[in-house]
Amino acid sequence: MNMIQTRNLTKSYGGFTAVSNLNLHVPKGSVYGFVGPNGAGKSTTMKMFLGLTRPSSGAFVIDKMSYPHNRVKILREIGSFIEAPAFYGNLTGEENLDIIRRILKLPKSTVDDALELVDLTPYRKRLARKYSLGMKQRLGLAGALLGRPPILILDEPTNGLDPVGIHEIRMLIRSLPDKFDCTVFVSSHLLSEIELMADHIGVLNHGHLLFEGTLEELKEKASFEGYPDENLENMFLALIEEDNMRRGGVK
Amino acid sequence: MSFRLECKKIRRTGLAAAFLAGSVIAAALPVINTAARPDTFSSMTGSPAAILSDANLQMISMLNLLLITAGACILYHIEYADNGLQKIQSLPVRESGLFIGKCGILLPFVLMMILFETASLCFCGWRWLDAGKEELIEMLQTLGFTLLLTLPATVTALVIASACRNMWTALGIGVLCVFMATMLSTDNFIASLFPYALPFQILPGMETERVIHYCIAAVCETAAACAAEIIHLKVRRLFA
Repeated sequence: MNMIQTRNLTKSYGGFTAVSNLNLHVPKGSVYGFVGPNGAGKSTTMKMFLGLTRPSSGAFVIDKMSYPHNRVKILREIGSFIEAPAFYGNLTGEENLDIIRRILKLPKSTVDDALELVDLTPYRKRLARKYSLGMKQRLGLAGALLGRPPILILDEPTNGLDPVGIHEIRMLIRSLPDKFDCTVFVSSHLLSEIELMADHIGVLNHGHLLFEGTLEELKEKASFEGYPDENLENMFLALIEEDNMRRGGVK
Repeated sequence: MSFRLECKKIRRTGLAAAFLAGSVIAAALPVINTAARPDTFSSMTGSPAAILSDANLQMISMLNLLLITAGACILYHIEYADNGLQKIQSLPVRESGLFIGKCGILLPFVLMMILFETASLCFCGWRWLDAGKEELIEMLQTLGFTLLLTLPATVTALVIASACRNMWTALGIGVLCVFMATMLSTDNFIASLFPYALPFQILPGMETERVIHYCIAAVCETAAACAAEIIHLKVRRLFA
């Protein structure tokens, strides 16, 4: 069963098409890695799922609920973290999470739980604007994890973290489906990053989905089409480069 | 719910302190003005409410409007500064609820401000103009009228602040509106309907029919500003 499914999802801004006829299938209980170079349309797709951007055409279904009729119901199911961390700088980390908790009508203990999950408990009373970039990133993640939602949409969640932080967050994301029975849709521009946490992959370039499937299927495709398959990063680069050449040499 | 959330969000913004300080300054104005030249005021003809309103209400209204504009800017600045609004937009709440919550925060502050000013005018009337119970009631009516006429400017200031990501743009537009209002003729009924010009109208001496017209206009303009915000939110989502 697919937790997220899109049908010809398209987003255009004037003459520029950011996402073109996207048909995604995100299986329930999986960690789905959404990979693509900068500007490929990953964030736009995620914003459409959250109702932050209106699709130009096409449709999507999340947990059997269609957008836009069930926008509020869909958002109740999703924990999200999009682009840069979003917070209230004049509030402490704990107060920021408390705002989200109140909106989601969750018990008070969920704030402590989320702070603990992302290792922010010692800094809970510090103003969010005084957090380091990594701490802001963790606060954003804590906001997404609050109440352990069945779907998590995370846009480049390891940005700004140090190697230890990246490892911790990676491990956390990897463990989420088993721990909390949730589906994770996570984006990155690095395939090497995604391969360590995802079991399904979607490769996006210039708004077009180039590949969707498991890592093994990607390796098979690479080997079948003659791409370098010994290294995932090279495979990814070859896939993107060929697509760029097909589009008239656009890099 | 929205109101309680907004109360939490304004922590450490200085909004309450700004309104408190503004209210004290605005309330001190008539006291200083009357205490400095009591004979001038006591020799004037007319009711104490009319004398004190004529002498002070223009300046008080201008201070009120500037404070309302700054308050509205602070309320939306916290949403835009660190992208808090985007987080709220990705949660299961309606954005119009956010606006209603902000109105719910700003209006009590405006009420507090006007209460301080009423108390100050009543004190001046009692202390220097021998105002009795009836005159004090007239002053309360005057300030009730001012409160109603301040509503459109309050809601409009929030609409402007909500539309501008950059706080300085919203503040600039607001200040321009305040100064434009001071330049408009208060005798011209149509010109005086400008939301920022309405609080400059003074109740004592005004014809009953005109009072009713202003009250209706204030209610209609407040409703229109709320409708404008809802349309703005829908359009913003449509073009996002």
